[in-house]
Amino acid sequence: MLKAITLKTIITTTAILVFGSTAALAHVTLEGKDAPVGSTYKAVLRVPHGCEGKPTNTVRVQIPEGFYGVKPQPKAGWTLDKVKGAYAKAYDNHGSPVTEGVKEVVWSGGNLGDDEYDEFVLRGTIAADLKAGDMLYFPVIQECPEGLKERWIEVPAAGQKASDLELPAPGVKLLQKTGN
Amino acid sequence: MTPLCHKALSLTGTLQRFVFAILLWSVMTAAASAHASLNTTEPRDGSVVSTAPRVIALTFSEPVSPTSLKLTRPDGSIAPLKNFVLKDKAVEITPPGDLKDGSYLLSWRVVSEDGHPIGGSVVFSIGRSNADVRGTAADIDWPVRAGLWIGKLALYVGLLFGVGGAFAIHWFADGSRNALRQVLATLCIGFAGALLSAGFQGLDTVGEPISRLVAPAVWKAGMATSFGPTVIFAIAALALAGLALASGRGRDARWISISAVITAAFSLCLSGHASAADPQWLMRPAVFLHVAAIAIWAGALLPLLAEFGQDKEAGGAALHRFSVFIPWAVLVLAVAGGVLAVVQIRTPAGLVTTAYGIVFLVKLGLLALLFALAAINRWKLTSGSKKGEPAAIRQLVRSIAAETVILLLIFAVAATWRFTPPPRTLLAEVQRTAAVHLETSKAVADVKITPDRVGQLAISAVIAKSDRSLLDPQEVAVVLSNPGAGIEPIRRKAEKGKDSWTVPDIVLPIPGRWRLRLDVIISDFEITRMEGEIEIAP
Repeated sequence: MLKAITLKTIITTTAILVFGSTAALAHVTLEGKDAPVGSTYKAVLRVPHGCEGKPTNTVRVQIPEGFYGVKPQPKAGWTLDKVKGAYAKAYDNHGSPVTEGVKEVVWSGGNLGDDEYDEFVLRGTIAADLKAGDMLYFPVIQECPEGLKERWIEVPAAGQKASDLELPAPGVKLLQKTGN
Repeated sequence: MTPLCHKALSLTGTLQRFVFAILLWSVMTAAASAHASLNTTEPRDGSVVSTAPRVIALTFSEPVSPTSLKLTRPDGSIAPLKNFVLKDKAVEITPPGDLKDGSYLLSWRVVSEDGHPIGGSVVFSIGRSNADVRGTAADIDWPVRAGLWIGKLALYVGLLFGVGGAFAIHWFADGSRNALRQVLATLCIGFAGALLSAGFQGLDTVGEPISRLVAPAVWKAGMATSFGPTVIFAIAALALAGLALASGRGRDARWISISAVITAAFSLCLSGHASAADPQWLMRPAVFLHVAAIAIWAGALLPLLAEFGQDKEAGGAALHRFSVFIPWAVLVLAVAGGVLAVVQIRTPAGLVTTAYGIVFLVKLGLLALLFALAAINRWKLTSGSKKGEPAAIRQLVRSIAAETVILLLIFAVAATWRFTPPPRTLLAEVQRTAAVHLETSKAVADVKITPDRVGQLAISAVIAKSDRSLLDPQEVAVVLSNPGAGIEPIRRKAEKGKDSWTVPDIVLPIPGRWRLRLDVIISDFEITRMEGEIEIAP
């Protein structure tokens, strides 16, 4: 029994720590916290609130360099736009080079209340030559009525932590390449 | 399986479920919860409300609990706000009941459910925004103002008609006793004015109502200002003039009367806007000569009237001496007055845009009238009057009486300058600007804060790329905080101007070192935060 209580205490403490630390990142965030390089990654963007109490009408995501072959998931009630452009370099798609693709994804015309929660999903490939241990950031802008915007676009500078930022961009931690 | 084993297993199962539940719950809540953010405030940030709010409400994006609420008053004092209730997502604060007109800053710090503290500041103004924090602290006390004005006018009457009168009696009218009563009366008015001025100056200095006029502390405060020496020398000048009158005819009386004029002119150059202006070596002598010349001109009028009333021949002789001397006095008067006006008003625009300039224009108008009358006297009536032509004398007497009235009006107008800061000082205030250069890897900014002192101020920033090439940001926000004084960030969106971004009115309630930050949205997905510090003067 004594052992159980001790365990319970440890677990509770751990849970609080987990809860506390994740909550501190709770702006617009990515569900999958890490992903290996050279693999496909499903980015699930979680939008927890609107702008100053106003509903979100548009969600824009900037696709980082090194994340290619992007396919966003359509959402009922939202218009989906893909802004395409040239990549900084060619990426390998099963042997054929890819030099351009989606650079920005826009879900617009929706109405996500400030007191509601939703997720926006896109899928793509993380380039194999990205460095494991680095973060890959997906800057997001929420647009609301009256020109209000919430921008989650800040990337930590050297020596800065994401928790120091007021408007941190959601990011995913890159892991070592798996398989092969 | 032994019962003990069974129990242990079931316990493990419970534990597992418990762990799973906790983890699931933590992930879910983590996804759903966010940092609290301030959604609305009542009164709104940056707003001006007509009456003191009974409740100040801060509405957040989620329930919060305050850890610090502080109100900075217009005078810069900071009071903690203990009286608040939590209503769902709102914090409703009951401020102290005695909020006077002026600008207030509410610095808040709250902790939301996720345990993350956030802070900010809300600025609102009651009645009007703090154009000048110190100036709006007290309302205009009209009885005290009236007292100051009457005192000043009476002092001018005494020093210019009275002391000048004593001078004229001895230098133009050969020590005649005809104007004795009139001049003595003006000296008495001046004496009363000097005393009254000291008292009201004290009331004005300590900000007390007229009922406190009898308090010794008030008089002490009045005499402690730069006006104190003016009062002392004015009384000395009045006394010397009285002595000159009592000394009969002769050289002694003449010299006493001239020393009275010098003392009177000296007394007025010891205080006042004009005397305080730079360059002092020019301004103080200019005030001195201006006052002395007016005293000689104005002072001659009552004795001349009296002489013509009594004895036409003596009047003619006095008029002759006066008219020989007066052009020089007028020349000095005009040159010194011109110097004072140029230094005080600086720009032609200052004439019409400031109260001081308008007072000057009114005075100038009256002066033009006065000069016209004086010119008629001098060139049309004087020769006839000296010869004793009755019609000319009648007209001259009427004209001199009119001159006296106009001079009195001019003194009355000039006495209102006591309440109007000259454009020179207004310009000086506007021109006091703090500048700070901010730089990040993405941009540079030159920020100007005008004026660089507490109260309402404007901020403008010229933003460029690091290589000084053109940068056209989407949005710019200015964030000011004073961590030393516990003032959380005040945030204002800047307006885009022709070549700079401006926040036209932001109120900083206390002096000291403030942290300044520009949040520059360079493009949709690119932001740079530029930080620096500014010094805000009291």
